[in-house]
Amino acid sequence: MDFFIMMSIVLPWITALVIYLAKNDFVTNFLTFLMLPVLGYFAWMVYSSGNLPYLMDTPGWVNYFITVYDFGLLGYFFYQGIKNKSLLVSALAVLQLVLLFIVVLIIEHSDTANIYIDKLTAFMYMIVAVVGVPIAIFATKYMEYDEKGKHSFVAILIWFLGVMNFAVSVNNIEWFFALFETTTLASYVLIRFRMDKEAVNNALLALWMNQIGGVAILLALLTFLKTDGIYHFTELLNANSKTLSLAALGFLSVSALVKGAQMPFHKWLLGAMVAPTPVSAILHSATMVKIAPYLLLRISPVIKGTLLAKLLIIATGFVFVSAAVIALTQENFKKILAYSTISLLGLMMLAAVVGTPIAVTASLILILFHAFAKGFLFIEAGVLEKVFHVKYIKQMRRLIERAPLTLMFIFFGFLNMTFVPFGTFIGKWMMIEEASGFLSHGSYVLLILYVGAGSAFLSVLYMKVLGISVRKSHGIEKLKLIPLPVRFNFVSVWYYGWLLFLTVFIAPFIATQIVPIAQELNGQMPNIHAQNLSLVMNSSILYFWQIIGALIILSLIHILPFFIHFKKVDTAMPYNCGEAFPRHIETYNFVCISKYENYLIAFSVALFVMVLVLGGGLL
Amino acid sequence: MKFETLMLLLTFFAPVIGGFIYGVERIVRARMQSRVGPPLMQPFYDFFKLIDKRPLMVHSLHAVMGIMYFVASWFALLVLFLGNDLLVAVFFHVIAVLALTIGAFSVRSPYSVIGAMRELMHMISYEPLMVLMVVGFYQVVGSFNLKDILNYEGIPLLELPVVFVAFVLAIPMMLHKSPFDVAEAHQEIIGGLEIEYSGPFYEAVYTGKWIEYVYVFFFVFLFGGSHYWLGALLVIFAFLFVNALDNATARLDFRRMVKFAWFVLIPVSAFNIIFLALWR
Repeated sequence: MDFFIMMSIVLPWITALVIYLAKNDFVTNFLTFLMLPVLGYFAWMVYSSGNLPYLMDTPGWVNYFITVYDFGLLGYFFYQGIKNKSLLVSALAVLQLVLLFIVVLIIEHSDTANIYIDKLTAFMYMIVAVVGVPIAIFATKYMEYDEKGKHSFVAILIWFLGVMNFAVSVNNIEWFFALFETTTLASYVLIRFRMDKEAVNNALLALWMNQIGGVAILLALLTFLKTDGIYHFTELLNANSKTLSLAALGFLSVSALVKGAQMPFHKWLLGAMVAPTPVSAILHSATMVKIAPYLLLRISPVIKGTLLAKLLIIATGFVFVSAAVIALTQENFKKILAYSTISLLGLMMLAAVVGTPIAVTASLILILFHAFAKGFLFIEAGVLEKVFHVKYIKQMRRLIERAPLTLMFIFFGFLNMTFVPFGTFIGKWMMIEEASGFLSHGSYVLLILYVGAGSAFLSVLYMKVLGISVRKSHGIEKLKLIPLPVRFNFVSVWYYGWLLFLTVFIAPFIATQIVPIAQELNGQMPNIHAQNLSLVMNSSILYFWQIIGALIILSLIHILPFFIHFKKVDTAMPYNCGEAFPRHIETYNFVCISKYENYLIAFSVALFVMVLVLGGGLL
Repeated sequence: MKFETLMLLLTFFAPVIGGFIYGVERIVRARMQSRVGPPLMQPFYDFFKLIDKRPLMVHSLHAVMGIMYFVASWFALLVLFLGNDLLVAVFFHVIAVLALTIGAFSVRSPYSVIGAMRELMHMISYEPLMVLMVVGFYQVVGSFNLKDILNYEGIPLLELPVVFVAFVLAIPMMLHKSPFDVAEAHQEIIGGLEIEYSGPFYEAVYTGKWIEYVYVFFFVFLFGGSHYWLGALLVIFAFLFVNALDNATARLDFRRMVKFAWFVLIPVSAFNIIFLALWR
């Protein structure tokens, strides 16, 4: 057991180092491919071993090492701030250094183990292995298209996976801070990878915003130390939730909101798109932003039902809707995807803070399926960018003729983000039904409105983008299949296969795999089980014939057009009132909404402050 | 078993029922305008005429999507009748909208594309309201199950009066009736979504719309609970009201539609539901 946990954490670091030093094509490609089965195997061994939750002791020197490493890391941030003339970055680094110093002074020795592995951790390992590693494989080919520094890039990606694995297995909040800041470092290095002016600026933006999260964690840690004298997640969960400092929990939630790119801190995730596409893919799907719902899920048993939780519901739900609305106004394909990530992260966190067993299940389902679908979509965005030179949705016109296969994958990814039998839908469905139970509080009615409205806006967004890409003047006489590189196809088919497989068997999958995790997190058994292949939740049933029927209809919608040709039917030109055909047909760009963007952000700032001040009880 | 059989039959004959509703509607509308109107069977005559026509299409994708719209809306109806959960049925309806809009987007006709964009605005307007309405039913009946609502002793209408009014006002958005027929807008964008369909393919879209009649008015029926006569009365009232509204009003701009839904219908429904929960 110890071996598998250690290897899950350490192996990516070692592999990254080897790739970085070897700088050899064969070594890079081979080791990256190798990571998929190896990390998958380790994650599975951890996941399926019967003795979770598991506390792992670490030698004492590791603790010292991490403290020293912390100071080094913050020193590096300080240096970067000075070097790039960013006062904000260096000031925040200094602030953290001071806070960390105080923490080190007052922290007492505790015998609680520093590594804590439960089913949630193993679940995150699985996501990192199954969703994260294919992105690195994709990157090995992507970086061969006129980009520099393939080996160091792939090395950083794999190291990032290791950091993520480490971050989700720590128990000590001080260690968690170190890992939190390490993911910040990794994203900083990745975002500025191209080293042009825009990239460096956006990287600095990501750096200072995420450091605010770091400050929040340190403040939470200090408050915990001062009030309860505890600094481990396990002790936190065992503590009496009445006496626990809400302010500290509020700070922890704020750090989650920052990491999860919730408005008003969403700009860093948008800025990340200047980096090579695999960076976006890895930030959005398997790593980095997923720390946010992870952290909230960890503390959800102690915050559920408090005012803090209700305010968090209002704040994250607001982000869920308004990010979806703002996404409608965007032109850049990667930006659209980024906004929809921000939006769905809001939903995940909302589900996590509601904290009932079913809501926790919904949050886990959303994390998993969002990771798959977003990884998939960003991979396809990378293919579009490199092979078809498409970056803006304007350029996506007639994609169905130029890139039928890629469009089919994008179509499927979009379907996964909102339509009926897929995981994201099931998460929303569970949330609405669960919230209907406690309508006597206003925030839950708001929650239902949020989920209903947000999903309608997201559906409109996806249909709009798809609508632009399917337009064409005549039938597809011949499919113009441009052969894509094998690694691109492998990764696409990998995601497609997983999503299809998980969707068909979604009921037993949720009942046997996700429900135990929620039960362990929450202590109570969510009332969800599978009847053969139908999903039963409370008294509601999602029948298998509904799942498979919707799946067949949607598959027909996204695959059939490429194969069906009505041979005997005559074709006609579209009717145009006898006028000349327009060369281009535009679609709604929703400019009318972009006027309100600043208001939405201002409102989210207000909610943010409210979470901290009212929820945390700072007043 | 009797209930299931009945519902299966209803689903199976839904296109026929919807066709009759459409026929009645045309007569009612004509009488409101002091015309005689077409015979009751006119939609079916149209149906057979359309089958007979020479099939013409812009391209296969477009034609396939028309058929998929019909299939998806029929399936959504099946989910509504035979499924266990109203909420799922609401989300199934989105699949039908997807097929319709993707089809309309795929042709190089400005009318069709504008229609598709407007159809998305329609969806934004009524979709959250539908979710709220179903949640309202849950508040009243304590279950999302159709059978439980149909066996409910009380009258949901009395507890959800505002939601009922809001839903009746949203029916024109769902069925493309004036003042909210912006996606079809015959005088303006000549039918919008459906303009490029012809012959048997138009027939699929046409029949799909009949099924939507059944889908929408069935939700009105649910407001009667186990008092089926009340449900029937409500359906007749809603039907007459929507047609009178259709006759009496001019088309609004789609912005007005979205604003009306978002600033009037949805907030008042939400208030109805929250007070229902508070006073319980």
